[in-house]
Amino acid sequence: MSTATAVRTRLGDLDERRLLLLATFVPLVAFFTVVWAVPIVYALGMSLFAEPTTAPSFVGLANYLDVLTAAEFPLFLWNSVLYAVSTTVFSLLIGLALALVVNQQIRGGSVLRTMMIFPYLLPTLVVIFIWQFLFDPNIGVINQWLVSYGVVESPVAFFSTSRWAMFAVAVTSVWKFGSFAFFILLARLQAIDPNLYERARVEGASTWQAFRDITLPHLRGAILIILLVRGIWMFNKFDIIYLATGGGPLNVTTTLPIRVYELAFNEVNFGGATALAGIMFFLLAAVAVVYFRAFEPEKEVAH
Amino acid sequence: MALGEGAAGSIVPQRFQARLKRAALVVVAALVAVFVTVPVYVMVAVAVQSPTAVFSGGDVNLIVESVTFRNFAVLFQETNTVRYFFNSLVVTASSTVLSTALAVGAGYGLTRFEFTGKTLAARVVLFAYMFSPIVLAIPLYVIFYTLGLLDSYFALTMALTAISAPFTIWLMWQYFQTVPIALEESAWVRGASRTRTIWEVVLPVARPGYISAAIFAFAVAWNDFTMSRVVMSSEEMYTITVGASLFLDRVSIGWGETMAVSLLICIPPFLIAVFLQNYLLQGFNVGGLE
Amino acid sequence: MARPIHFDTVRKEYRTAGTTHVAVDGLSLSIPEGSFTTLVGPSGCGKTTTLRMIAGLETPTDGQIAFGEEEVTDQSPQDRNCAMVFQSIALYPHMSVRDNIGYGLKVQGVPKADRDDRIDEAAETLQITEQLEKMPAELSGGQQQRVAPGSAFVQDPDVLLLDEPMSDLDAKLKSELRVEVQRLHQELDATVVYVTHDQTEAMTMSDQVILLNEGRLAQFAPPGELFDAPVSKYVAEFIGTPSTNMLSATVERTDEGLALVGDGFEVTAPSDRFRDRVGESVVLGIRPQYLSTDGGRYGLVVTAEVVEQLGTEFVVHGHGPDGTPIDAVSSAFGDVDPGDRLAVGFDAEDLFVFGDDGRTICHGDALAADARSQPR
Repeated sequence: MSTATAVRTRLGDLDERRLLLLATFVPLVAFFTVVWAVPIVYALGMSLFAEPTTAPSFVGLANYLDVLTAAEFPLFLWNSVLYAVSTTVFSLLIGLALALVVNQQIRGGSVLRTMMIFPYLLPTLVVIFIWQFLFDPNIGVINQWLVSYGVVESPVAFFSTSRWAMFAVAVTSVWKFGSFAFFILLARLQAIDPNLYERARVEGASTWQAFRDITLPHLRGAILIILLVRGIWMFNKFDIIYLATGGGPLNVTTTLPIRVYELAFNEVNFGGATALAGIMFFLLAAVAVVYFRAFEPEKEVAH
Repeated sequence: MALGEGAAGSIVPQRFQARLKRAALVVVAALVAVFVTVPVYVMVAVAVQSPTAVFSGGDVNLIVESVTFRNFAVLFQETNTVRYFFNSLVVTASSTVLSTALAVGAGYGLTRFEFTGKTLAARVVLFAYMFSPIVLAIPLYVIFYTLGLLDSYFALTMALTAISAPFTIWLMWQYFQTVPIALEESAWVRGASRTRTIWEVVLPVARPGYISAAIFAFAVAWNDFTMSRVVMSSEEMYTITVGASLFLDRVSIGWGETMAVSLLICIPPFLIAVFLQNYLLQGFNVGGLE
Repeated sequence: MARPIHFDTVRKEYRTAGTTHVAVDGLSLSIPEGSFTTLVGPSGCGKTTTLRMIAGLETPTDGQIAFGEEEVTDQSPQDRNCAMVFQSIALYPHMSVRDNIGYGLKVQGVPKADRDDRIDEAAETLQITEQLEKMPAELSGGQQQRVAPGSAFVQDPDVLLLDEPMSDLDAKLKSELRVEVQRLHQELDATVVYVTHDQTEAMTMSDQVILLNEGRLAQFAPPGELFDAPVSKYVAEFIGTPSTNMLSATVERTDEGLALVGDGFEVTAPSDRFRDRVGESVVLGIRPQYLSTDGGRYGLVVTAEVVEQLGTEFVVHGHGPDGTPIDAVSSAFGDVDPGDRLAVGFDAEDLFVFGDDGRTICHGDALAADARSQPR
């Protein structure tokens, strides 16, 4: 009698546990398969064909060769790197400076913190509208100031002159994404034990020494992660550049993601587009290996 | 104060130093505040004034003297803004719900069940999180095209969820690590079934986590331009970002109307920033989102 | 209704990444119904695992657990009518204190009015009536600790399990709660199993103590017996503060028969127990409380290193002539300074004798009886 109950309840419990297991993992696996695994495999497959969408014929790695040997490829790669590095470094510097300021608990610090959320939450399109307006050669506030203070003689069309387009896109991007570094660094700063600073002061360290020997080492990991992850994201950025300049003028802001879009939708060359996407995929995979090796971010969830 | 001040000589420099430091802090804070707020202010100022007031006399007049809804009126008469907003709301809402539900289930399962390959699963999620949306958009476009699903709410919802889910899953996975299993065990010991425990203990306790996740899923979907540009091809299916991105090409739409639509787009994120700030910051603390 | 708990060769293994860790090994014992039993031992000894197996939160790898006549080994925690107070307190942050306490009753389908009556009653006993409508986050740590047993109180469990419920508390609160838990035991008709690593708690509160050592049962006895008659060196060292002094000695044949000979002392040994052990080394255990400056049949010179005052008593930490650490406790050590050499004495009846394997060969009463019959 008692054994029977025991067996029955055990089965009941196991069933519920198994049900729960299915309920959590089946959607997860199904979703990742449908929207990630299948498209990636599909794209890698397409990259081996000429005209994969209409009259596919297998060409092996020819698409990759075409993309890599194209005359502009080094320029697109350089643009991507330049854009990624400059925006990442400047967002980091601005974020760091402001995080240090807000961490000092000055009056209005929390207001400043709330304000920093806005650029991040404003949709990219809105950010572009605002900066196109500010940089506009005819009615833009910035040009009016620059001209009236004599910095430039005549207004500069920032987004559409090849000399300034990348600069303008980068400023816009830093404005939007700077808060990312700010919030991460601020959280790290607030986690530093204040006793460490008090100890340093008792032991006679100056403000600068305390910053160098306590603050910086504590921020080191966060700074590296920002450089790496933000760098990857900026390298992969499409919408902000596309909306600001569409890659122009004269390709000076054409990065690899922009080129992928052009190949697919302007030139209807899906073989080339997927080959370039494949190259970006492998680049990301290489960086990801470094990231996983160096930081072991998965340790945060899997022990 | 004067008592116990042994080295009287050091008092002046120390105070001076503190004051200098304070001044430097205020200057940096002010500069950044200007850098952040002025562009937003310009948007509002242009949106709520009539173009004639803003652009009178060759200079841009940014001091708001009279508020008018003229720009909004033009927007609603001349464009499909209402329709675009409706589309955005549909896909944003469905993708937010889908992404959050997926993240809560996955986060719970990944935390509470032991299995080999957890490290691999974590890496897959993180890898997807770093992925370029445009690289994913190309094959999705071809697949949706082949299946005849282009230009549908369903396709865009899936595509948006694809880019938001890696982060929401990661966030919930981390969040559930902080929920002590003793809470669940205590419910089991008291006789609550596993399912009942999920509803009455786990989900309420996980609320701050999934509110954060929902905010990020919302932000991704609402801000999205890439996916809707690729997936939606007919004008009446455009989301507001794609629809509005084409406004400046039209003769009838000027900066006033453009800023007006921008202001409208900003309302939901603005409300989040004001009312749900803490949930948002919590999300940043586990790694932020693009 | 309280029920006895029987363990029959219970074993619990954990497998992680190819390595097997045995948390509990061959545990067989019976906890009497209605008793207050404490599971004690150093961290990692398997006491929490044992408790969780009683609750049903872990399933034994091998062996059986029964509540009275009913085997519960594979029963789920939901079906056992246990109540458990967790180390982390485990209050639901989204429920008021009242709902926290009443959650088990709600699950069982007890009507609201009924629930509230029982909660009010429990709250009065635990002196938490003012906190009932608050949320857990509004309570101090001590208040939370008081709330935690509340749910056990209203539920009328057969078995009440407490997993180190006071480990983070300060001494004053601890002693208050100790009384509270004992009152809980008196008022409930339940078998109480209490896990702690604090032997003072174990010794003062319980009817029975289960001392575990690396997953195995070291001794299962009432507290007094554990103190006076440890079955092994491990038990003698674990129970009692400061820890029992361990002096090494050898069994030797002397003119007057057998003796346990150490550095500076020679204790007569009964021949019936030590006849076969001549030449073997043994360990003599003597509690610091039994070393005194006045009297004692056997003498020992201790060099003091540190002297601590504990209320009216003084604890001398020092070492013997051969460097063995020796502690002594007495109210007469007030004027001892570090570096002083003290002559302390002890009697054979206070000794424990342990063999090479760590098991007890005999307790002092056996030696003393023998010593009386054969005066030196």
